[in-house]
Amino acid sequence: MDRKLPQFFFALSLIALALLLAAIWQSSHPSWKLYQREYYKLESQGEPNAAAKAAIMDTSLEIHQELLPGLQRVDRCTTCHLGVEDPTMKDAPEPYRYHPNLAPHSPARFGCTVCHGGQGLATDKENAHGNVAFWEEPLLPKDYVRASCGRCHKEGDIPGVPELTEGRRLFETQGCHGCHKLNGTGGSIGPDLTAEGASQRSPEWLESHFLNPNAVSPNSPMPNFHFTKEQARALTFYMLSLTNEHMATYYASASLIPSSGYGRQLFTEKNCIACHSIGGVGAKEGPDLLGVAKEHSSEWLDEQLVNPQQVYPGSIMPAYDLDANARKALIAFMSNATAEDAQAILAQRGKPLTPEEAAIEAGKQDFHRFGCAGCHGVNLQGGVPNPNAQGGEVPSLLHVSDDYTKDEVIGIISDGKQPPLADPHKPPPPLYMPTWKTVLSQEDIQRIADYLWSIQPKKEAW
Amino acid sequence: MNPIRDLWQSISRRDPLSTDKGKSELVFLNVWLHIHPNKVRPEGLKVKHTWYLGFITFFLFLVLVTTGIALMFYYRPYPQPAYQDMKDLQFVVFMGGFLRNMHRWAAHGMVICVFLHMCRVFYTGSYKRPRQFNWVIGVVLLLLTLGLSFTGYLLPWDQLAFWAITVGTNIGSYAPLVGARVRELLLGGHMVGEEALIRFYVLHVAVLPSLLVLLTMVHFWRIRKDGGLSRPVWKLKPQKAANLVHIGEPEPEPALAAVAAAPDKTYGLMEVVTGRPIFETVAPEEDEETVFSYPYAFFREGIALVVTVVTVMAVSLFWNAPLEEMANPAKTPNPAKAPWYFLGLQELVSHSALFGGVIVPALVVLALVGIPYLDSNPSRRPADRKWAIWIFTVFVIVNIVLIIVGTFFRGPGWSFVPPWVHVTAGAE
Repeated sequence: MDRKLPQFFFALSLIALALLLAAIWQSSHPSWKLYQREYYKLESQGEPNAAAKAAIMDTSLEIHQELLPGLQRVDRCTTCHLGVEDPTMKDAPEPYRYHPNLAPHSPARFGCTVCHGGQGLATDKENAHGNVAFWEEPLLPKDYVRASCGRCHKEGDIPGVPELTEGRRLFETQGCHGCHKLNGTGGSIGPDLTAEGASQRSPEWLESHFLNPNAVSPNSPMPNFHFTKEQARALTFYMLSLTNEHMATYYASASLIPSSGYGRQLFTEKNCIACHSIGGVGAKEGPDLLGVAKEHSSEWLDEQLVNPQQVYPGSIMPAYDLDANARKALIAFMSNATAEDAQAILAQRGKPLTPEEAAIEAGKQDFHRFGCAGCHGVNLQGGVPNPNAQGGEVPSLLHVSDDYTKDEVIGIISDGKQPPLADPHKPPPPLYMPTWKTVLSQEDIQRIADYLWSIQPKKEAW
Repeated sequence: MNPIRDLWQSISRRDPLSTDKGKSELVFLNVWLHIHPNKVRPEGLKVKHTWYLGFITFFLFLVLVTTGIALMFYYRPYPQPAYQDMKDLQFVVFMGGFLRNMHRWAAHGMVICVFLHMCRVFYTGSYKRPRQFNWVIGVVLLLLTLGLSFTGYLLPWDQLAFWAITVGTNIGSYAPLVGARVRELLLGGHMVGEEALIRFYVLHVAVLPSLLVLLTMVHFWRIRKDGGLSRPVWKLKPQKAANLVHIGEPEPEPALAAVAAAPDKTYGLMEVVTGRPIFETVAPEEDEETVFSYPYAFFREGIALVVTVVTVMAVSLFWNAPLEEMANPAKTPNPAKAPWYFLGLQELVSHSALFGGVIVPALVVLALVGIPYLDSNPSRRPADRKWAIWIFTVFVIVNIVLIIVGTFFRGPGWSFVPPWVHVTAGAE
């Protein structure tokens, strides 16, 4: 044995050397190098000139990356997706295919993962596409990539993504706030949704959750809202767009796209129709705005909105405090506004409210804004199942004045209430009335009570 | 005049090997032969006696130092960059993933080997007189190893790191009076954050390794001073064993006598002491059978080194070190678990914070340190020390069982969940 020791030692050293070489080989043959070789072969095929061909084939193989400090990301996707900005690659096979309609979202400014998801730092397919353990944002399926627009464009309409607008509207009107927190406000019965888009849930999961909450998460207290497929899709889009990631001003400033929809909203809010008309519909104090964008350049219109006196000394138009985005939106609206638009805006104006009506209207707004409608129903009809509560469901509020005085209701809203148990031996019901006095002012609570009383059926005094 | 030979001689500092003087100087001027004794007892080299666990632990430490220094070139101890650097090591740095794998697996291996080494020393009774203090140093080295592994655990800044350290430091804070203060000092605040990261980093790359190197030197030096590698139990001779007990006991004549210092003295007290040496020193007796360290010990150590390195490399080629999502203080995994070697502690803490988090670990450390002083039985033969072996075996088994239960049998809310049952997190 002792005589064999040196031989044994050197044999083991050879194994160590072999392992070291294996590790070096493993490190120097990453899959992205194969993809790059393949790409340059593809690119050189189109070159008639032999020298140019050779030059392309000689391109050094290296990692390509977009450093995006403003998005706190580093995207190395273009290491393999080399043809993303090369229109001649529009029919190339993946991963080399050209990405149409990229402008103005150039990869150098935006990278890829902020829209598509995936793991930008990774340099092999499996990890980069993010379908691996411990990566929370796998690649989004193609149909859902547009949801990512909402990560930066957090307000207003986004051209080409009606789902997001609809999703936001549903979230605001269906009372989701009552149970879910979003950016710090909302209830705490359901999970906080502030960063729902960054969690590992797949779009398919979200969509089936909206169609039937209990199908994918058993025992969920979330009521089934009987959404249509389109509504579930819209809400899924909205959820996917919710992230709380930090973005630099460059990205955050684009939160609202100056679309004509937003322009129309501004046009209504600022009451432009009070002086202007469109196609003859409206007031005659100011000039008619039909086709105004054809007569004047958008710079001229922009200047007019900033300082009307400058362009027309003695103009009666007041100077509005509008930011650049808002002015762009107004101009976008004016460039295709028609007499029908003016008609619709006029129809919306309605008659002024009395102070009492205004207070009740404010209570109704509060009722919807703080998510009471989520459980008690958009029309106060209640009926959301709540196992082991008396009656088995969330109470309707249509006849609340039969059982309570107004002060009692104000007390219940302020302090919350555990619903009485149907069977004291079973676990308490999942849904309960939260304490609202930490969220709502006393005034708001009073208004909600006024709203509830305003719709109670009139009773005979006796 | 041959400049090349002159240069070589200035490096090797010996005559050419063609001369007898050169041959003897090869031995006398050899640094390796100065770290080793020139002769060792052959039975001390038997694998079934030591299992080379001490060597393997030390070699794993060498692997850790080497890979650790390489990793430091790529590491920024600040939360987000730290995590990104882990990803860069995995995806971009040449052999970066392999280096990190080696570092992580060698670290786990070192924790295991240092524990097994302790068991070996206990079962062979090698901590007994005159080696009591070396055992104490060994226990401190075990604690330093755990400290190194624990501080290194935080550095990747992923969920695993963040919550393991949060749980681990919480266990420490159960100590009365000082616990919370020590935790605050260690973390630089009340929760794991960027201050904790830089503190753990400094401890991991500077403070703890320096202490470990220093104490390892003492540990090795004491082995030589205490008589070399311990004699296997099967080689103990009855009289020798009896003799050993008396070594180091003071003789009747005065042990130390100081020589009066000269008026122009330029030396210290330690140099002028006469009489018996102040340290207990045991040298192999001349009549015993011994072999030369080179090649018999050298090649065996070399083989242990290469086997260690080959094992770590092979494991690192096929298994990646874990890396979870980036640390997120707002998202607590359920259950949040401490590093595996503290899961026994966490298991105890789950039953009683004071008992499991303070009393038991304090007693265990005290008992480990005190073993050579509490165990007054001079015999090293297993037949003579049944009780000691029983107690220690129960300690080892309880430790292992607690760690296995904590690792594999604890699910959400620290409830008992066997590993073959899959539990989904609570309802949405």
